[in-house]
Amino acid sequence: MAAELQTLAAASVSRKRKPDHKTGKKPSKRVHQKASSMAAAKPRKPSRKMRKLFRKRAREYHSDEEEESDEEPSSEEEESDRDLDVMDDDDSGGDDEDDGEGAQHGITRFVEGCRAFRVAFMKIMKKHLPDDPLGPILSAHKKLVAEKLAEEVSEHKTTAEMKKEKQMEAEKGHVKPANFLDAREKLLISVATKGVVKLFNAVSKAQNSQSGLNPSGSKNAKVLAKQRKQAFFSELQKPTTQSCDSKSMDKNNELGWAPLRNNYMLTSSKLKDWDKMPEAAAVVDHKQVSSESSSDEE
Amino acid sequence: MARFKNKNKKALARPVKNQPSVDHITGQKIPKSFVFSRGKLPGPLRDLELDLRKLMLPHTALKLKEKKRNKLKDFLNVAGPMGVTHFLMISNPKSVPHLRVARTPQGPTITFEIQEYALAADIARSQARPSCPKELFSNSPLIVLSGFGSGGQHLKLTTIMFQNIFPAIDINTVKLSSCRRIVLLNYNNETKLIDFRHYSIRLQPIGVSQRIRKFVQKHEVPDLRNLQDVSDFVTKAGYGSESEADEESATVSLVSDLGRVNRASTKSAVRLQEIGPRMTLRLVKIEEGLCSGAVIFSEFGKKPDDAHEEEDHED
Repeated sequence: MAAELQTLAAASVSRKRKPDHKTGKKPSKRVHQKASSMAAAKPRKPSRKMRKLFRKRAREYHSDEEEESDEEPSSEEEESDRDLDVMDDDDSGGDDEDDGEGAQHGITRFVEGCRAFRVAFMKIMKKHLPDDPLGPILSAHKKLVAEKLAEEVSEHKTTAEMKKEKQMEAEKGHVKPANFLDAREKLLISVATKGVVKLFNAVSKAQNSQSGLNPSGSKNAKVLAKQRKQAFFSELQKPTTQSCDSKSMDKNNELGWAPLRNNYMLTSSKLKDWDKMPEAAAVVDHKQVSSESSSDEE
Repeated sequence: MARFKNKNKKALARPVKNQPSVDHITGQKIPKSFVFSRGKLPGPLRDLELDLRKLMLPHTALKLKEKKRNKLKDFLNVAGPMGVTHFLMISNPKSVPHLRVARTPQGPTITFEIQEYALAADIARSQARPSCPKELFSNSPLIVLSGFGSGGQHLKLTTIMFQNIFPAIDINTVKLSSCRRIVLLNYNNETKLIDFRHYSIRLQPIGVSQRIRKFVQKHEVPDLRNLQDVSDFVTKAGYGSESEADEESATVSLVSDLGRVNRASTKSAVRLQEIGPRMTLRLVKIEEGLCSGAVIFSEFGKKPDDAHEEEDHED
């Protein structure tokens, strides 16, 4: 009854809105038709063709809605489902009747839609939801959210993998040695030991012979002399250069020029032949000359 | 303002005082080295770089500061006045980390692939009693090259390069107390890989029980609680697992006393303990210049000269 009243009111409003559509019969007919349609609505089902159409529309509707925000599409979708049901009831009812009632169609649909929406909403609210990690989300959206979560997880995984990969890259070739000595290491150690022993023995031999040599023997004397000469030269290198430097320091105090630095002559290998230089007195000059020449060569 | 100081310039301006460039006794030039990286290195490789620097001590720049914008030329410019003769460069291209050993300023440059490596810390972790006292690094290591004789010219060149990277030893004047470390390069002819190892050398007297050796070495009051008599300390040998394993080949007789324990009169055993980085290298390329110039040798075909045909056949 209430629904009927509502429809009446709605019809009157609609008539006001659209004055060009008035016909004398309409209100009464509308009421009658409405009542009849209400009576007929329950048993009657939409034709197959119409159902197909609705399904198609619904699909389109979904495809549009999916891009929008979280809660809306699901609830709206339900709503639209109900709406469509009602609508198709209405339409099928309208099939029997005459044309020229398009305006009323919209109105009834709206009202019925309201009711249907209420029913649908109540149904949804009454529904007992199983415990779901995703929470109370409607089916269509559920899939979406699940997809999204999965994507996120995979993304996270990829970053972790990247990190791991990077780590692997950094550790390439890095090997942690074993706690024991394997055969190879033992072999290497023995090789190294052999080398050390050889060297030490050679050193001891050389130095022993050096210390054991007797200057009385002619051979030994020669060897010793040679060694002494070497030692002498090596000894000589230090004091001469120092004295040389001190002399040159006296002569010119500024040490900007590289050849006059303390260690300059030490780096050049020309020192070998220094004893072939003519006079000890002219050593300083010669050195400077030679150093000049060496620097020129370099 | 101090932030923007050019470190290279500073290094140039500062005269090198403590490090003579010539050995006073032998009169030979002391080789010095820079160890640095080319391009960005990941963490472990940076550690390897530091380990290599430590290995190259004392004639190297332990705290060499390098920046992203430093070019090879920058290092070369500093190398001249500082008397640096060798560069060791670590780079990490996409494939495998590489080590390049180069002579400055002319070259040649030898490029190795670092196929495997272990850091000094890894090795210390793997040992029961790691010991790496700082005194070890006050003298340059000895170098032992083994297995290089069999190969061709490129191996010869590698040998020469590595022999010259550390100061030469004069047998007549060298003090054995200064030989505390050894670097071993072992070339495996089958796999064509070079094993790079770094050991510390210890000498221990033979025929002396561990207790007495420790007593003499450490000057600590020994624990005599479990002994009946003082003589037991001398007569009862401990579990001398080490001394039993002495081989005749690993013993030397010293010229002079070495430390408190190793007397010239007694024989001593040579013990090596691994320190420092461990690498497995593969010789890839030799270039004539400093990271440039003609390729003298290349592992991957493309031999420039006819002289390398023999090596082709070998491969």
